[in-house]
Amino acid sequence: MPRDAEPEIEITKELTLPKLFLRMCKKFGHNKVAMREKEYGIWKPITWADYLENVKSLCLGMVALGLKRGDKVAMIGDNRPEGLWAEMATLCAGGVAVWLFQDSLLDEVQYIVDHCDAKFLVGEGQEEVDKGLAIKDRCPKLERILWDDPKGMRHYKDPILMSLKEVQRLGRELEKKQPGLFEELVEQGHGDEVCLLFYTSGTTALPKGALLTHYNMLKMGQNLMRVDPCYPDDDFVSYLPFAWIGEQMMSISVGLQVGFTINFPEEPETAQENIREIGPQTIFAPPRIYEQMVRTVQVKHLDASWLKRKLHDWAMRTGYQWADCMFEKRKPSTSLKVRRALAEVLVFKKLKDHLGLSRIRHAYTGGAAMGPDHFRFFHAIGVNLKQIYGQTEIAGISVLHRDGDVKFDTVGRPIPETEVRITEDDEIISKSPSVFLGYYKNPEATAKTLRDGWLYSGDTGFIDEDGHLVVFDRSKDIMILSDGRKFSPQFLEARLKFSPYVKEAWVIGHKLPYVTAVICIDYATVGKWAEERGIPYTSYPELSQKPQVYDLIVKPIMEVNRTLPPVARIQKFVNLYKELDADDEELTRTRKLRRAFVEERYKDIVKALYTDADMVHMDTTIRYEDGRVVPIKADMRIARVPQEGGK
Amino acid sequence: MSWLPCGLYHEHYREDHAWWQTTFVKGKMLLLAIFAIVILPYLDLVAPDLGPYLLNIAVILLYTILAASGVQLLIGYCGQVTLGHAAYVAIGAYTCCLVLMHGPALAAMTNDPNPIVRTLAALFSLLMKAGLLYPAGIILAGLAAGLWCVIFGLPSAKVKGFYLIMTTIAGQWITVEFFITQYVSQIGGRQQAFTVLPEHFTIGPFTIDSDRKIYYLGLALVGLVVAVTANLLRSKPGRAWIAIRDNDIAAEAMGVNIVAYKLLAFFVAGAMGGLAGVYWLNFNYIISPEHFQWFWSLWWVGVILIGGVGSIQGTIFGSMFMVLVMEGLKALIVPLSGAFPELLDKFLFIKEALFGLAIALFLIYEPNGLAYRWWQLKNYFNLWPFSY
Repeated sequence: MPRDAEPEIEITKELTLPKLFLRMCKKFGHNKVAMREKEYGIWKPITWADYLENVKSLCLGMVALGLKRGDKVAMIGDNRPEGLWAEMATLCAGGVAVWLFQDSLLDEVQYIVDHCDAKFLVGEGQEEVDKGLAIKDRCPKLERILWDDPKGMRHYKDPILMSLKEVQRLGRELEKKQPGLFEELVEQGHGDEVCLLFYTSGTTALPKGALLTHYNMLKMGQNLMRVDPCYPDDDFVSYLPFAWIGEQMMSISVGLQVGFTINFPEEPETAQENIREIGPQTIFAPPRIYEQMVRTVQVKHLDASWLKRKLHDWAMRTGYQWADCMFEKRKPSTSLKVRRALAEVLVFKKLKDHLGLSRIRHAYTGGAAMGPDHFRFFHAIGVNLKQIYGQTEIAGISVLHRDGDVKFDTVGRPIPETEVRITEDDEIISKSPSVFLGYYKNPEATAKTLRDGWLYSGDTGFIDEDGHLVVFDRSKDIMILSDGRKFSPQFLEARLKFSPYVKEAWVIGHKLPYVTAVICIDYATVGKWAEERGIPYTSYPELSQKPQVYDLIVKPIMEVNRTLPPVARIQKFVNLYKELDADDEELTRTRKLRRAFVEERYKDIVKALYTDADMVHMDTTIRYEDGRVVPIKADMRIARVPQEGGK
Repeated sequence: MSWLPCGLYHEHYREDHAWWQTTFVKGKMLLLAIFAIVILPYLDLVAPDLGPYLLNIAVILLYTILAASGVQLLIGYCGQVTLGHAAYVAIGAYTCCLVLMHGPALAAMTNDPNPIVRTLAALFSLLMKAGLLYPAGIILAGLAAGLWCVIFGLPSAKVKGFYLIMTTIAGQWITVEFFITQYVSQIGGRQQAFTVLPEHFTIGPFTIDSDRKIYYLGLALVGLVVAVTANLLRSKPGRAWIAIRDNDIAAEAMGVNIVAYKLLAFFVAGAMGGLAGVYWLNFNYIISPEHFQWFWSLWWVGVILIGGVGSIQGTIFGSMFMVLVMEGLKALIVPLSGAFPELLDKFLFIKEALFGLAIALFLIYEPNGLAYRWWQLKNYFNLWPFSY
């Protein structure tokens, strides 16, 4: 049901996130819940007044500890209210917040903390404090490590440490001494000041720090909501890393402007279940989250009883017909309408309930390419899934699908106040009030990316006849096939991942005689599949090399091949003996494949795929989550994909 | 854990522990209430034959639920197997009966030389003037049966399992065969059966004398018992009982005072039995030790075994199963008795044999009872379109 949008706030250069925060706190006070955290089985509410109180004392506490305007505060930890308070407190004091990925390894933490000149590091608990203590000697500018979860912290006596409670106590003391200081600090802010420093995950090189201003963030949120408004009574679940621009975009830019309730899951592991409880109206997640949902549905569907399976199959067929009808903007026939309504009642309503999507108004995916199969799946079950395209450098979003104008192979049209063009080299460039200031301490990279106010994305794409932007791939990732045509490996990989048994795929074929793939099986689903068939295995490497598993994996590959031109078809594949992992630097923290890196690391495999060999031997190392590195020897079978005739 | 739809979440424990959380369940309970309060008792207005018959069955059903609730609490939640529950039902029935029979006489003894008797007489005359003699009898019946049950629950402090079963059986013989038959029944010089006239069952301005009123009284008592049980179970005593049931040594190690909580369970269960006894008296107007034979103690255990041990719904499902199957059996045997006259003579034996068979079959094929089957049925639809 279309609803009138909330009155838009006026965004001037004077406005900052903290000023808006104060305004919202005044508006809602004790009457509205700003955030909830699931603790001990219930969703503990935190009102806007509580939010203000916590941010104020934290902010003043940090000021008491010596935080000055423009100082950087690094933050690391799971999504939790304290994390957001610390960020907001930093902004209120005129500081710059720098979020790190929660699972970052020591070297990454050290690099970012040192590079951004952070004065404080705010960690969640013992794990983050340990990281902080380990790097403090190599980061001379770091003055304090703050923490909020006391679990395991009893015997930590290092003077650099301080609990957030203690900081808040200092803040309240300062408040008594200098009442009104907090409001003054907030008042001093200006929209053109930097508020967030984002380290881009970097598929190629060391992370670069993108500087975003208050104005960037506010404008982005406003322009997004001009397309898809949110409402104060909406619920949003914050569970993706704050170090990802997408999460900041929803929690901060949109959240503050409209004042919806942000919900924090109990633990990262319970996020999916907690989302189901909340039933958010808006969700923005990278494709892997949606891929996981599809995989869950596929696996559970295979295990369902006969009647349930048959009904589900029928409903999905109907749903796909309906979705294709919508994509092509055809008018559905009456019979299809009736069948769709029946399928909704019989299957989709419950299906969406299981996925936690029953109240969803807009679901967004962005940050990586999503396969058309996944995309169609969500539209078939009636979830309004849209692509978002953007970069951290443009505060997250520049292009978006509009309601009723969704095409699964495009990313939509630019949001208001945003211009998108294609250069002569097919590079996508954009311009908007949200384009960043530049990279921190990296003028060369800034000059390369930012030219005359235009942001050069490094992505190749084109604009189709409906004005939709089509993103082909990262320019440097595009493959040139044996017949000279350009092809996107991401597209192939995303399609392979529609199989519940394929977790990751890596397609190779740039300037090579034929196309091959390296597959990472999904340990959970393939493992279950093997158990049901009595195939014994003890570990991931062993399971991945089972001939039966190869037979299982070849099917989805042939399925994908069927729709491809012959030169783009996958001829050979190998099941990798391990899952690709961000800790091994094979993926970025947002789980994008670091192609150049894996090509170097697995060059033996690549070489073997283009010889007549049936086996490839690897002598390599793997890194455990605690940082230990152990050598590993593995033999992998190379399998040929049977080729059949087709188009 | 009950299943909740997407988008239903709780900010406070009060909501988290609410009985009915979804609109669907609330609607279901509303329909059930309408059926039980309006449709069933007034069915005779449309179906003059069927209505009263169903109402009679409903009364038996309510009595079975009341009696089995205590058994469920002891066995299903506190793990104290009792095979003597008829004794407490009997104590309740006799207490209330004596109050109703001798209350008026006691109220008249205002000039007795004994000051205690005089005080009691004044109290009873006050109660009688207010029309509250029967309610007082109900309360006294509950208290007496509860305390009586505590006495026979005392051994549970020392013994458990098989030995406790023996002591509860002993409680049955001591109470009904010895105490009630030999002594209580002799009060007033009348032999065996006590009778109370319908007009004595007055609660304030209402006299519980018609089938419909008796039915409503039963509904109220069942409502009370179910509400009390459900509330106890979601508070400290209930958690303590379940801890004792699951592992008494672990419970004690956790700091649960197991003797106190066991005795509390016996008291509450006995009091519920006492209410069942009162209800029996109210719809029969007559009681005799034969109404509280050991067989009934066994029968109620059968009810909860079939319905589902450790489930309030189980008590209700089990009662429905037992009462309705027996009624169905009667309906089956009466037409057959033309051809096989001995069926009628041997009905009691057939009933007992079938009771045994039903329990055996349930233990083999549905050991978790009907409540589990119901839960599975709900799950089938809750998990739709998946199976887990």
